[in-house]
Amino acid sequence: MRRRRGRRAAHLPARLFLTLLCAVMLLPVVFTAFYSFFPKSEMSAYLAQRNNYDETKLLPILLSPKIATVRQYYTILIEDPTYLKLFLNSALYAGLILVGQAVFVPMMAYALSRFRFRGREALFFLVLALMLMPFQVTMAPNVIALRTLGLIDTMWAVVLPMWFSPFYVFLLRQFMLAIPGEMFEAAMIDSAGAWRCYWAVLLPVCRPVLGAAVALSFADSWNMVEQPLAYLTQQMQMPLSVMFNSLSETSADVVFAGAALYSLPMLFIYLYFQEDILQGLQLSELK
Amino acid sequence: MFKQKRMLLVFLLPGMLGLLVFYVLPFFGGIYFSVTDGTRQNAFVGMANYLSVWQNQMFRLGLVNTLQLSLICAPLIFVSSFLLAGLLKGLGERSKGYRNVLLLPYLMPSAAMLILFLLLFDYGGPVNRALQALGMPRVLWKESDAMRVPVIALYVWKNLGFSVVIFSSALQAVPGALYEYAQLEGASRLRQEISITLPMISPTAFLVFVLAWINAFKIFKEVYFIGGSYPDMSCYTLQHFMNNMFQRLNYQYVTTAAYSFAVIVLALFGVLYAIEARRRVVM
Repeated sequence: MRRRRGRRAAHLPARLFLTLLCAVMLLPVVFTAFYSFFPKSEMSAYLAQRNNYDETKLLPILLSPKIATVRQYYTILIEDPTYLKLFLNSALYAGLILVGQAVFVPMMAYALSRFRFRGREALFFLVLALMLMPFQVTMAPNVIALRTLGLIDTMWAVVLPMWFSPFYVFLLRQFMLAIPGEMFEAAMIDSAGAWRCYWAVLLPVCRPVLGAAVALSFADSWNMVEQPLAYLTQQMQMPLSVMFNSLSETSADVVFAGAALYSLPMLFIYLYFQEDILQGLQLSELK
Repeated sequence: MFKQKRMLLVFLLPGMLGLLVFYVLPFFGGIYFSVTDGTRQNAFVGMANYLSVWQNQMFRLGLVNTLQLSLICAPLIFVSSFLLAGLLKGLGERSKGYRNVLLLPYLMPSAAMLILFLLLFDYGGPVNRALQALGMPRVLWKESDAMRVPVIALYVWKNLGFSVVIFSSALQAVPGALYEYAQLEGASRLRQEISITLPMISPTAFLVFVLAWINAFKIFKEVYFIGGSYPDMSCYTLQHFMNNMFQRLNYQYVTTAAYSFAVIVLALFGVLYAIEARRRVVM
């Protein structure tokens, strides 16, 4: 008993440190939400003071609005449709990518983990090698290939390659390998075939890693910059992630409402799949 | 384990085809571009493109910067996430909330958070304000080679939590009985960490490091956000070089740069893998 109390006291510095760290990590999120309720005029006046190289001037730290308002949101949602259009682009990309991945990635991970066939190890090695390839390497050949296929400058150029993303095949395979074989044997005794085992046994068991993959993949496509920059040219086709920067220069007064709205879907995804991410991201040994 | 051929094809073929069309074939097809001259005849020029790309100043700058930045970020994330995971483990059940908060930035779109980082590192912003209060001169964070600091800060802020979560789950998977037994035998805390924790989690540690490293090659995103297409020389990455070559439609240079980088990356990972394999034999 005494020992336990001693340990708890020993936790105090650790907890203090972690609390502080977490507060720092959360600051950008909190301030984005906070600043999004400032009046437009106040915000643009504040942001105009940036990049002032006068040694005597400091940027004030803005902590209280003259009046709290949803005027910023009103502008980006109703008055000016540019933001909304880009937001919908992002949603479309993320949605299409997720749907394709849901079809192809688990099936492939299943074949690579629960089937025995010649060349399986070689195939897995290929997936691993592709996963390790930095985007800089795959980008150049991909642009040429997508051009040959006539896909460049269409949204499919961004969407289709992501459907077969090696990282998620790897993530799911590692999880599936760790599932005990007895579960499948039990189903097979009830005369379930490979398809039935996939649908009724494997996928439900994989729920945590599937949830984690959905969340990470959504974050990936919601945040992607390299692919659209390389594969698309028209501005109105770009997702918000690419355009947000230039948007915040032309309409600085609403940038925080834009940022808050942009983060909101991610926040929901995060809250919904939190548990799955913590459980599903167990990358067991490379075997 | 299933062995039926037909079912295997149903599951494997769609994915394989996709990988083939969008990853493998382009990869090998692109080699053709890197060894031809790109004129109408498309004459074979051997290694000439490689020689001229390797002599290109901007390519070298981009390559060195990319490797340097990734070699700062990956170990930084690796070590700090390992220490944090250790701290969190000591807290037991109560660590969950902290882990959740640390993971949040990983899912936040960095473009949205950017404006606050720009404010933070503005010439008159809070960071410089703090420096001034400490009696130090202000720093041009966004306009000089100090730009690496905000770039790395944004990168670490975003990617730390992912590694912490993977490390945490690896630490939790170490059977507690091992520690109890070691304690009975009179092993010290430090001894336990060295003889139990390290060997048990080293496969995961290896993976975390590799993932952190390839992820760090993508630091272009953070640089692009803060500095645009032509950032300060200290942050000009390989991706900048390639994007600029693309805009000039110089496919020869782009593919050549890509394969040069691929060879370097594969060699690095080959060495890492050999070290890991050797360690496994020794243990």
